[in-house]
Amino acid sequence: MATEDSEYWRWKEYNWKDPEMDWKDAEFITAGVDVGSVSSQAVITLDSKLFAYSNMRTGSNSPDSARNAMNWALEDTGLDLEKIQYVVGTGYGRVNVPFADRAITEIACHGRGANYMYGPTVRTVLDMGGQDCKAIRTDEKGKVTAFLMNDKCAAGTGRGMEVFADLLGIHIEKVGEESFKVEKEPPAVSSTCVVFAKSEATGLLRAGWPKNKVLAAYCSAMAHRVVTLLERLGVEKEFAITGGIAKNSGVVKRIEKELGLTALDVNLDTQIAGALGGALFAEALAKKAQKQG
Amino acid sequence: MIEMFKEWYDARHEYAKEWKEKTGGKVLGYFCTYVPEEILLAADVLPVRILGSHEPQDVTEPHIFGMFCPFCRDCLAQGLKGRYDYLDGIMIAQSCLHIRQAYTSWEMHIPVPFSYYLPMPNHVQSPRALPYLKAELETFKKAVEEWTGKTITDEDLDRGIEIMNRNRRLLRDAYDTRKAADPPMSGLEAMYMAVSSQMIDKTEHSDVVEESLKELQTRKLETPTGERLIIIGSEDDDTTFIDMVENCGSTIVVDDHCTGSRYFWNQVESNGEDRLQAIAQRYIDRPRCPTKDWEERSRIPHIMNLAKDWNVSGAILLQQKFCDPHELDIPIIRKTLEESGIPTLFLELDVTVPVGQFQTRVEAFLEMLMEEDLF
Repeated sequence: MATEDSEYWRWKEYNWKDPEMDWKDAEFITAGVDVGSVSSQAVITLDSKLFAYSNMRTGSNSPDSARNAMNWALEDTGLDLEKIQYVVGTGYGRVNVPFADRAITEIACHGRGANYMYGPTVRTVLDMGGQDCKAIRTDEKGKVTAFLMNDKCAAGTGRGMEVFADLLGIHIEKVGEESFKVEKEPPAVSSTCVVFAKSEATGLLRAGWPKNKVLAAYCSAMAHRVVTLLERLGVEKEFAITGGIAKNSGVVKRIEKELGLTALDVNLDTQIAGALGGALFAEALAKKAQKQG
Repeated sequence: MIEMFKEWYDARHEYAKEWKEKTGGKVLGYFCTYVPEEILLAADVLPVRILGSHEPQDVTEPHIFGMFCPFCRDCLAQGLKGRYDYLDGIMIAQSCLHIRQAYTSWEMHIPVPFSYYLPMPNHVQSPRALPYLKAELETFKKAVEEWTGKTITDEDLDRGIEIMNRNRRLLRDAYDTRKAADPPMSGLEAMYMAVSSQMIDKTEHSDVVEESLKELQTRKLETPTGERLIIIGSEDDDTTFIDMVENCGSTIVVDDHCTGSRYFWNQVESNGEDRLQAIAQRYIDRPRCPTKDWEERSRIPHIMNLAKDWNVSGAILLQQKFCDPHELDIPIIRKTLEESGIPTLFLELDVTVPVGQFQTRVEAFLEMLMEEDLF
């Protein structure tokens, strides 16, 4: 049996609420639920301000994942689901959020969420998700003006990084710093396809490469892959990264180096961008519904 | 009436078999819409376009490269699986290497009494293309006469031309109805209408289009029109995909596909003298496939006119994966449309489409087009 210590892919799940805020003062209480392929988040906003959220692994059942994430975000807030005026579902399982009033794509939600998190100067958002990545261009309001999504496979995504953490026995949250413990930056592995890259990595380990060096080579390959996606779309400043991989400095710094551009920094969980955008759209929709009576 | 086209499309093989039994005539399967059907109709042959079935298959692997387009592999698979076992002949007019590979492999592995390669010129913009194609059509006509044992007279050619032209006129009329603010037919229905004309006796098909046009005068779709889209690209009879797009809040109002408008757009302008020359001229002048649109890019103004006349708010560029000729045209088409304020979405088709992933992109694209203010 695998113990938690040996599950190198396992990242920490958690919930958070702003202790300074009281939902009773709010006119609009809305929520966004992002059921992704790997992780799920629920975000609650009070009058367009982030109030509480949760972030956890997606289970095999989307409606359950949505419910679990929502319940966890509500925990200790004194709120219950009935008091939330409008809920937007987003992410791969957006149509499977049983209590959602509307589904909006994660592309629109990440654009909106990044605008809140990083401010209105953001023009290019790279969402590095569990099983796909998206390059998104937005205007000053966070409205999407163009986007590109990677192809069918999960190469260069969160899931791929989890597989590599497991293969090399390096904890997923340490991948970034470990990948820089190399004397010299190695050439990137030639493929980001999870299966091919894994066999290439096995070959490199057998050839005597230290695992940090293999990890560096994989991070470079992943960075290169998303940079080509960004370049196809065209990058305009400011640039920000959302999603789980935004927490991985091993990939982020290599993307920045290749782009010659620094990504905006934020003191918020980058994985909540989608759900946060959803909650903000939910508020706009709640206002609209109120107006229409 | 309009449901008939889907029924025909779904039961294309049964239809052809019944036609054969009823008429005792010959059925010819063809691979590309540059095939001059006028000459086949003049000899009372039923031309049917060979299309795929959009099912995963494992029979073409030994015969055709995996990096050739999914469409050519899907077509060949139909032959290898015996679904076109009623064909008396097959033919292709030169367009691209991938589909030619499907044709030659078919010829080798599924022998039929008649097979014909028509070397349709690629450089149709050359003044030499017309005399060249005309001479090729003469040779082709003789080959059809030998195969069918029937002499093709000028009257026969006139009949063939008129049958084709009538169908083209009617399909254009049907497409024109989609210019309305609320089109009376969906893009999916239009796709069934256009593509079924490639498998059904043309006169029978035309009669039903004619009837449908009356129905369309008062017809209303149940769902709101939403965003008006044009679809542009290679062969496309991916009905699952089209249905998904239209269920996300849009209506496809016009297309530039060889299974759609490129097939029937222009007529043979015959003056009753040199008929083969008039036919050749039609195939040289038709809206071009990207294998033939060089160096002048005539597709671009044509597409821009469609976008304008059908008043679209967005364009989906759809092509078969690995289709190099179409891929070459993508950048200039996107650039031109976007400079005119028409956003584009580019997607690659496979034998089956990953509907979930495509749906996210299509929905995000429509959200981008929509005027709804959520900010």
